[in-house]
Order: sequence, then structure tokens, then C-alpha cells
Amino acid sequence: MLGYILKRLLLTLPTLLLVSVGVFLFIRLIPGDPALVLLGEGADAASLAGVRADLGLDRPLPVQFLTWLGHAVRGDLGRSIFSGEPVSTLILQHFGLTALVVLTAVTLATLIAITAGLVAAWRQDSAIDLAVVGAATVVLAVPSFWLGLVLLLLFGVKLGWLPFVGYVPFSESAVQAALFLVMPIVTLTITESGVLTRMMRASSIDVLQLDYVTHARAKGLPESTVLIRHVFPNAFAPTLTLVGLTLGHLLGGVAVIETVFTLPGLGRLMVDAVLARDYPVVQGCLLFTAVVYVVVNLLVDLCYPIFDPRVTAR
Amino acid sequence: MRVLSLLVALGALWIAFPARAGSILRARLNSDIVSTDPGTRRDENTDGVLLHLVEGLVGSREDGSVAPMLASRWSISADGRVYTFTLRPNVVFHNGAPLTSAEVVWSLQRYLKPGTRWRCLEVLGANGIAPVTSVTAPDLHTVEVTLARPAPIFLTTLARADCGATGIMHPDSVQADGSWNAPIGTGPFQLGEWRHNQFVQLERFARYAALPGPRDGNVGGKHALVDELRFMIIPDSSAARAALIRGSLDVIDNLYPADLMGIRGREDLQFQSVPVLDCYSLLIQTQDPVLRDVRVRTAIALTIDAKALTKAITRDTGSPNNSPIPVASPFHGPAEARMRPVDIPRARQLLKASGYDGSVIRLITSRRDPQMFDTAVIIQAMAAQAGLNVQIELLDWPAHLARYTTGNYQLMVESFSPRLDPTLSFGLFIGDKRQEPRKVWDSPRARALLDEATQAADPAVRQSLMDQLTLDFLAEAPAVVLFNSSRLSVVRAAVTGHQNWPSAQPRLWGVGLH
Repeated sequence: MLGYILKRLLLTLPTLLLVSVGVFLFIRLIPGDPALVLLGEGADAASLAGVRADLGLDRPLPVQFLTWLGHAVRGDLGRSIFSGEPVSTLILQHFGLTALVVLTAVTLATLIAITAGLVAAWRQDSAIDLAVVGAATVVLAVPSFWLGLVLLLLFGVKLGWLPFVGYVPFSESAVQAALFLVMPIVTLTITESGVLTRMMRASSIDVLQLDYVTHARAKGLPESTVLIRHVFPNAFAPTLTLVGLTLGHLLGGVAVIETVFTLPGLGRLMVDAVLARDYPVVQGCLLFTAVVYVVVNLLVDLCYPIFDPRVTAR
Repeated sequence: MRVLSLLVALGALWIAFPARAGSILRARLNSDIVSTDPGTRRDENTDGVLLHLVEGLVGSREDGSVAPMLASRWSISADGRVYTFTLRPNVVFHNGAPLTSAEVVWSLQRYLKPGTRWRCLEVLGANGIAPVTSVTAPDLHTVEVTLARPAPIFLTTLARADCGATGIMHPDSVQADGSWNAPIGTGPFQLGEWRHNQFVQLERFARYAALPGPRDGNVGGKHALVDELRFMIIPDSSAARAALIRGSLDVIDNLYPADLMGIRGREDLQFQSVPVLDCYSLLIQTQDPVLRDVRVRTAIALTIDAKALTKAITRDTGSPNNSPIPVASPFHGPAEARMRPVDIPRARQLLKASGYDGSVIRLITSRRDPQMFDTAVIIQAMAAQAGLNVQIELLDWPAHLARYTTGNYQLMVESFSPRLDPTLSFGLFIGDKRQEPRKVWDSPRARALLDEATQAADPAVRQSLMDQLTLDFLAEAPAVVLFNSSRLSVVRAAVTGHQNWPSAQPRLWGVGLH
């Protein structure tokens, strides 16, 4: 197992190198000059040249890249062009909140998907199935910002039950932080539960038609035992893959949710950095996201044997 | 269920009435500030927040004229080169140290170092139009600034908000190695906490010495009426409006007209609209093969109904204007008030005479603010009436800014932030394209008139020069000025004393809560 993990981690190195090259080049291909954004519309040529020199943007691209990569492998992702803060500090400050929201929401969405998908598959073509499929389709079609704004207007403004601006971290007030996170988490849970439910239902239908399930029923096992012990572990593997992918891309930031609910998360940090052409922050965030993506998917792969013993780590 | 309802109600009460040590006024910022170093790493939000913390030797009155701030008075030598400032007594910094000429000299010399990247170095630096050659302190309460040549624009430049009002700070504002730490100024508020992407908290400075008299621009009557000022970063305008209605926010400043939808007319909110000295324009690249012909440029200008455009874009809150001098400026006289009439037949004639063949003319815009994109759409439709084939190219703001700075466009919708001095308003357009490609009006006569206006101190002379420039600008059409917007604010009914002014900065001194 340890060898497998090490092998997988080693395989990620070329991926991360490619990501770093891509990120470095693509952000520079987008028109726009960080020095110009920094100095504003009236900047004169001498000041612009000075800032570019200060930022190292006047050097050849390969030199810039190798310098950045050399620092990055030592854990130094540089400093924000605008705030001057270390990028790694900014990422860690913002990632904690994003991770909390995403992990909670995806966990809840997965639980909803498992239950709803299994039941819908078990009662295929019934009213329950129709309701689950219908609800999942609606949820898939609803944009997260719209859902977030509706919840905000209902529970934040109309009923006044939940706060939605002025996030307070857990370290200051656990209760207020928890109340603040209710709406973002609910929004994300609902949004993500649609596709997971569809996947769980589809794979459960496939498994329910297999011979061993018929055999289990023929043995006289209760339906709940058949579903939980025999159908769920086998049907869950494809959904688990999707959970991994979902977690990976959401942990890179949920910019829309973070903007609607004014959460200082990684998504907003990254969007702001792209709009300001803050190269070090964009590069750092995307590299970090790639690492998270790889690690999450490795963890998901390692979880497969738990649900399906036929899969072994080799 | 009852228990749940009770818990929810208790939670709501607890959030609605949290324990507060003192009065807190909460205002919205649509994005985080860039730094706490005035006039260097900055944007409009940064300027607005920091002007509550620092003050310069001079500031701006409500009408944009220069007024004393930390200097009680000043004199100008006969040759117009030496400015002698006498400092106000009994002014203290946020760290308790008294204001003396030593801190003023330190602050000005720091600004003038190229490494500081001060916004106004381009004017007051060695290559500027008002180069400062020395800053000295004859005694504890006097500062002398010597210029290489006379430049009446010197004081106006010192007062510029985008230059941090040349805020005078205590040397402890920087660390031992010269790097920036935090602003120790003399303003009515001092920096509390800056939590990135969440809020900037300012605390009332108990020892602040306000100038007597009523509130005036950013100089007079600066009384902090709340214990804490909290600028909350809320990027989404819908969320900000919801927060205001809910009572989680007290002030939304600088709203776009479209944001008024859904809240206008509510009795629990107060609305304000003040004309500002900004400028929305259609820039024309006069070196473009098609647009170098003044007949084509004039034809474009003749298709634009600035009044109708302004009404539609600003929801009737802006002021149509074809002159670079804003309507709210005291220099906006009868010559500047002239509006170019819409004349589609004449535009068609001019296009025909110029040989325009219907080729595509690209119009660059962005969504930096919603008004810029909407303006481009309306201009496209208006120009089409005369047979102009205008196609819109939508860019994000940094790309738009890069194209503007390099002059790489045919047409561009651009909004300029307020300029308090009329020469600065014209300076946005006039210049040598070889040195400053962003300038649209590269005319020797215009440059000479602007230079003359920059040197002139007599308001009557300046007005005459502005009038001449305006008439030339309308005739040569290097750009079409469209309108000046209004600064729209909405505050909760419990907020007292909130009043905007023609500058682009929020002003939350003199503002209290019932």
C-alpha cells in the first residue's frame, strides 16, 4: 500500500510540472499588465518600467519561470503584487474556509445522493423515482448564484434568521460562524446533490439487476439488508469517483458562492487575482488547487477497496 | 418544532443585537483596499478609506478649490517657486507625537523618492511639470518647498485624493528597513484592523483636532461621530442591498443607477445624489487610417444624442456634457455648456465626403462598471443611423487598460475618475502621442493652451483658456465627452449627517447613528 501511494505521488510530479508551465504561460497570454493595473490609468512610461523591473517582469519568460519554480519547490510561492503578502499565507488564510464549506456540503450532498439514489433505483419508475429524478434535474438546472440569492433573500432578509454579510471566523465566535455558513453550505449541498443523485441512481439500477442481488433476495434477506450490504457498496464506487472529482474542483474555490455570501475563500482570492493580473497569486492558487485535486483523487482511489473488495491497490 | 423555532428566534435576536462596545457605522466597499500606504499602491477604494486616516498640508473644499489642512497658511515667493507653509499648532499623530516640520519634511521626501512609487511623482518629480527641488524646515512649525519653476498646479496636486492627499505621516509608519508598516496619520480615525477581503476597521481618534466650521470637502469640520467605522467588503451589489435592508449595513456609497432598482422609494432608507467631477467619454484614435479624418470623427459625434444616452444610462441621475470640464466644476461656463446637436443627415454627408466605405470600426469597452458597456451598446446603435459600422469588442478591465495606455484601439468607451482642477480634466485628453500614446488630442495649439492654463493663477485667465480649449475640442473631435455621473448613495434612516461631495471618495466623518 505504501509503495502504491509513493508511486502515485511520484506520478503527480510530472502533472504538477505541466500544470505549473501551463499556468505560468496562460496567465501571461491574457492581455493586461500587472504594473499598469497597479499604477492606474495615468501611469507614465518610466514608472511602469520601474514597477516591471521591481516585479521581475522585464526579464525573459524562461528566466521568470525558472526563478518562480525554484522558489516554489522550496515552498515559497512569492508575494502578491498588490498586497505584498506571501502567496502561501494568502492561500492558507483563504483555503480553510473554502475547505470547510466544500467538505461539509459535499458530505451532505453525498449522503442525500446515496439515500435518494438508492431508494429511487429500488423503486424504479414509481412516483418516488419520478420525484427524485425530477428534483435532481431541477437542481442540476438551477444556477448556484440564483439559488444562493433566493436563500439569502428568504432567510437573510425576509425572515431575518441567518446572517449573510460580515463573516466571523470560528476562532472569534463559533455560533455566529456556524450560522453564517448555513446558507452557503445549503446552497452548495443542493447544487451538488443533483448530479450525485443521478449517478447513484443509475449505478444502483445496474447493480440491482445483477444475479447476486437476485440470489441475496432468494436467500430471503430483507430488502434493507440487500440494499445496504449488497447493492450500496458496489453501486457507490462510480459515485465515489464523482465525489472525488467534485471535491477536487470545488476545493479550488467556489467563487460564485463566496461572492454572493461575501466569504473570504480561495475562489474569491483567485478571481480577484486574475482580474488584477496578480501573477504570483494566480500561479500559487492554481498550483495549490492542482495539488489538492491530485491528493483528493488519490485518497478517493485508496477508499475504493473499502467499498469494493475486488478493487485492490497495486 | 417549538424548540427549533425558539432556538432560531433566539439566534436571530442574538445576531440582530450583538453586544457592542460602542457605536459602529458599517459602510460597503465593493472590493478590498490595495494597501494602507496612501497614494502608492492604491485604487479609489484605497484612497477613500485612507483619507479618513491621513491628512495633507492642504485639502480640497467642497467646490474643488484648495484649502488649508495641516498648514494653517502658506505664502508663495515673488518668483512663484518657493512655497512656505506654516503648520497648525496642537495637531498630534495617532501615536501621540506632535506634528512638527520634521515629519512633514520626512513625509514629502519619502513621497519624492522614486522607490516609493507615489502617484504624483509624475507631476512633482524631476520630470514633472512642477518639479520639487528641495523640502526644508526653517523651524519646528515651518516648511519650505522649492520648485524648479513656477507651477500653480502644485497645491492642487498636493490635495489630490489619488495621491493620498500627500498625507503627512509619522516616520514610525515605516519599519526600520524602510518598508511600509501602517499609516500613523493625523486624521479623525486611526487604523484598527484590516482583515483581507472581509473588512477594514477604523477607530475614532480621540485626540483629533478638527478645523472649525462646517464640513467642507475633506478639510473642514471633520468630527468622528462614531466609535468605529467598518468598511465591509461586499463585492455583490445584490448582497449589499439585502444587507442594507436587513440592517447589517448602514451605508452603501457609490451605487450604480441600476442598483437602485428594488430599493428606491423605501421609507427606511435615505437616498442621495451628488454630481461628481468624473467624465464618461468616447475616445477616438486620431492616428487610425479611418478616424484620422476629422470628418469621420465629427460624423460619429453628430450621431450621438448625449442627452438621451445620459438619461438611459444613468437613469436620469447624470448630467449630459460635451466638454471635458465637468458640469459640477466652477469652470463649466457658457462655452462648456454648449451641446453638439444631433444631425444624422450632416453625419451622412460628412461620411460620404470622407470616402468612408462602411468598413468595421471597432469599439472597445469593458464591464469595469455596467455603464461603460451599456454606453457602448447605445453608441453602436446611434452610429448605425448614419451608416457607421461599429462593432463592440468587450474586454476585461486589465486588458482594456492596456489597450488604452498603448493607444491600441479605434474607438473606446472610457470613464475617468474625478479631477478637481480643470487643467487636469483637459490633461486627460491632451498630450504628445509619441510619449503618451494614451492621449487622444495631440495638437500643438491645445498643448500650448494647456501649458498656459497650468501656469496661470488668475481664475479669469484660466476660464478663458478653458473656453478656447473646449471650442477647439468640439471642432476637432478627438473624443466625444458624453456625461458626468452622480455619486449615488443610500443609507439607513438611522444614519445622520451623511452627505456626499463632488469628489469620488466616501466621507464618513460627521456621520452618526441615532
